[in-house]
Amino acid sequence: MRTLMTMIAVLMLSSCIRLDSLMFSPDTSIETYQLDAFEGRQEIDLPEAYALPDSLIEVFTLESDLEGDKAEIYAVYVGNQNLISTDTVILYLHGNAGHLDFYWNRIKLLANTGAKNRFGVLAIDYRGYGLSGGTPSEDGLYADTDAAMKWLKEKGLTSDRLVIYGFSMGSAPATELTANPRTLQPSKLMLEAPFASDEVMLQDASGLSLPGSYISNLEINNADEIAKVDEPFFWIHGVDDDYLSIETHGEVVFKNYQGIYSEAHRVEGANHGDVPFIMGFEAYIDAVTQFVER
Amino acid sequence: MGIIRTTVILGCLAFATACAPARVIKPLEKGEKQIGANLGGAMINYGGAPIPLPLTSINYLQGLDTGLTLSAALHTTDILFGVMHAEAGLGIKAYQTKSEKFGVTISPSMNLMYDIWEQNFSAYPQLDALCYWQYAEKPNLFYGGLGSWVELNKVKAHNEVQTNELLPYIMVGHQFNRPKWTFTTEAKYLGFQHDNRDLVPDYIGPSHYGALGLYFGISRRLIK
Repeated sequence: MRTLMTMIAVLMLSSCIRLDSLMFSPDTSIETYQLDAFEGRQEIDLPEAYALPDSLIEVFTLESDLEGDKAEIYAVYVGNQNLISTDTVILYLHGNAGHLDFYWNRIKLLANTGAKNRFGVLAIDYRGYGLSGGTPSEDGLYADTDAAMKWLKEKGLTSDRLVIYGFSMGSAPATELTANPRTLQPSKLMLEAPFASDEVMLQDASGLSLPGSYISNLEINNADEIAKVDEPFFWIHGVDDDYLSIETHGEVVFKNYQGIYSEAHRVEGANHGDVPFIMGFEAYIDAVTQFVER
Repeated sequence: MGIIRTTVILGCLAFATACAPARVIKPLEKGEKQIGANLGGAMINYGGAPIPLPLTSINYLQGLDTGLTLSAALHTTDILFGVMHAEAGLGIKAYQTKSEKFGVTISPSMNLMYDIWEQNFSAYPQLDALCYWQYAEKPNLFYGGLGSWVELNKVKAHNEVQTNELLPYIMVGHQFNRPKWTFTTEAKYLGFQHDNRDLVPDYIGPSHYGALGLYFGISRRLIK
């Protein structure tokens, strides 16, 4: 019995199976960002009508400091950078897979909000994604997003003109930095297919009320953090999302929001990654535009 | 999102319902002791191939009295996650023919879980009822039955109402008994009332409901 107990104690103390790092699925195989020339899989294909002038697209690097753990992360800005000091900017935070190229069509779509290049759009590759240095982590998401805000602030952006848009995993830094602002306080929060928490994932899968701590040490909790957000909130989610259920993830996040204004877009027939396509690009752009301009 | 889908599965299913085969099929003789190990779990699509989750547990059985067997088990996969998942129960002879070739066993048990990370504790009662049929002179047997985990919590994450009060399953299996060793193969159909399409794990279940499970067990009699 003593041997058995010793074995159990050793196993528990040496427990190494945590799913924290598995939340991230970066692709670091690229040598350069290809954007329009990218031939890999993208979640949506965009018609030529949404093409943007190369002169208004810049890929560059930022320094992100995570409590001394500095990483050079990549970013792409779409729009006239001279207007950052006077106009609205959308900060786009992508999901957990791939790298910026994978989300390029989504970024272009947002850059067509209002009109072509009406608003500037900034997107980043989190540390460990694409060509960005470092290793992905929950705290890294927040630090990297804040680094993007610092860059925008240095360019003259003020909080009242910052709109933050988080897709899937990107809903975590978007919600966190709106609820607990650092460099800038986003004036509007937009979430597409957000997840409530890792605990919901576990409970959906097991059918039981098991605590999230049984599988990970992640503290991402959009369902609770959203309650701290006062800023206007836009939520869009595919009704047929088979990855992050609209019922157990999106609806919970939306219900917990208690701020000054919210709008919900439940897109019939859409799955996790094809909301703009199923909704229709123009309908999607119209909805985003109306919210950004309201 | 495909990669995260397959990785999260491994964690989630470590704690999925009925992650082990039936513990007591035919109650042991008084004083008889048995230790065993089990492997298996719900079937999922993994990289396009159907596989049973490789969940493991070890167990101990002891015949307390005629028709009454104590069972205890540790879910070793869960331990690797830093979660102590212990299970204790009884196997009770509810009915048996005079020839002892056919019988019914009822097994109430309790699952207790505790994690070292945030010290969260969970308790889930479980009840199995199965009948067995010893089909040959050697004590090999077929068995089948049903069971359920019982959800005691009324709320789940973020104070949402927990609507799953029971997580039932049906099972069929076979035990190949040798003088000292027993080999068990069991199939389960878990959570058959739940649509499995909007879940992270790609469970394999008929018409997208529930999950089929496959389990293997080996045990050795210690003393009689």
